[in-house]
Amino acid sequence: MYFAGVDIGSLTAEAVIINDGKIIGSEIISVLPNPLDSAREVMNRALKKCGLNFPEIRFIVSTGYGREKLQAEGMAQENKSEISCHGLGAFTLNPEVRTVIDIGGQDAKVIKVDGSGKLENFVMNDKCAAGTGHFLEVMSRSLGLSLDELGQISLDSKKPVEMSNRCTIYVETEVIHFLQRGTAKKDVAAGINKAMAERVVALARRVNPEKEIMLTGGVAKNVAVRSEIQKILKVKLVSPSIDPQLIGAYGAALFAQAKGTEK
Amino acid sequence: MITIGCDIGSLFTKAVMMNNDNLVAYKITRTTGNLGQEIDDFLSALSQTAGIDRKKVDCLAGTGIGAELIKSADFQEDIITCLASASAFYLPEVELTIDIGGQSITSILLSQEGEVENFMRNDKCASGSGRFLEMMSDKLNLQLSQLNEIITRANKPVELSAQCGVFAESEVISYVNQGEEVSNIIAGVCATVANMVVAQARRFGNVNYWTLTGGVALIEPLVKNISKKLSAKFIPFPHHPQLAGAIGAALLAGSE
Repeated sequence: MYFAGVDIGSLTAEAVIINDGKIIGSEIISVLPNPLDSAREVMNRALKKCGLNFPEIRFIVSTGYGREKLQAEGMAQENKSEISCHGLGAFTLNPEVRTVIDIGGQDAKVIKVDGSGKLENFVMNDKCAAGTGHFLEVMSRSLGLSLDELGQISLDSKKPVEMSNRCTIYVETEVIHFLQRGTAKKDVAAGINKAMAERVVALARRVNPEKEIMLTGGVAKNVAVRSEIQKILKVKLVSPSIDPQLIGAYGAALFAQAKGTEK
Repeated sequence: MITIGCDIGSLFTKAVMMNNDNLVAYKITRTTGNLGQEIDDFLSALSQTAGIDRKKVDCLAGTGIGAELIKSADFQEDIITCLASASAFYLPEVELTIDIGGQSITSILLSQEGEVENFMRNDKCASGSGRFLEMMSDKLNLQLSQLNEIITRANKPVELSAQCGVFAESEVISYVNQGEEVSNIIAGVCATVANMVVAQARRFGNVNYWTLTGGVALIEPLVKNISKKLSAKFIPFPHHPQLAGAIGAALLAGSE
């Protein structure tokens, strides 16, 4: 029996198809203006990858932006919050996980789960762009780098710059000033990733993060942010066995499996 | 006595020359990354406009975030002290001076003697700052000088849910894409700015008279919106409101 989870974010949409808990197909696309179109597109592509047709999926759970709408339009049979999905997805991948740090395009969440994977507590920042994926996007644009390059290039830095601001808009001005003064791009990039990690850790500390800690969402792929978070928190983050950007959709697919088999 | 006050802000640099208490000349320019080299020429240009040789200047005071770039300054003064001194000099009845700067919002509570009794400053977050308003106007292809006229055309200002400048910018873009009237969008942006300003100023309790400094003070609908929320009477700054910090510095230079 096949089950699917579809996660619509602010910047990207993901779909995961599972069979017996195992991922057999997945896809990540940039979002389309309408969540329903995004969901259709990403699902069709994921289905194609594993050679399945829509009617063969027994149960679909939606999460992320417009998750209720997807259910109302019949795209999914049920919807779940991103918080539940990231919690379940991360815990299932590694049952030692007690804290999930999910950094999305326009928000960041820190989710605590107990020993049975049940949601215990969470904090969320969706008010301020600092510490979200959007921050890195603005900065990579200023540096003329891709998001991947922004992480890679800063690993070579010996002297990361210190940002004196937190606000995305002010840091952007600071970045431009650093470049005008001839500061090496790698040092500016390293300063950006460090500033990003500091905001994320400040959020995480509000719920007392406990081991093991897993980083999920697109920003988890930024090697420099990851290593800075480890440095500040003085812990080693556990690595998921799947693309960290898929964990929300994977969690949704697991909910679909639980729902679909109980019926 | 001839004095110069120069205020280097994050977005604009302002300088005034005063002869005792009279404003003789002023200049405003965009703050650039190269201002350290350019500031001397800027001050010479001010002297030229005034027709007063720089050698005749008795005292030069610098203020603002970039005050230390003014190497020829006789002294530096804190921007809050400068704003307060300008406001107290011209508008003795004003109890609350609000300054919307390029990267800050500052509320200054003044005593009856015109001294700073208390102040609050937000320079950590761009929300509601001059930069915030500039970003949104840029996205709408509007100049700040056009806002008065455009906002009067608004019939149903939009509601922005975001306070963060980055998120508000996305919201503004989606309103544009939905075909919303520019006048209604910018009116909504100004309402957000007013809310941010009032949230800060209200912590000082009720006042009867207030003034607004910084270039944003020229946007009348914004001033009206804040006045209404503060339930206080607005008294306009008698010169270009963007000059308040520089004028304050020049006045303080005169009393040295």
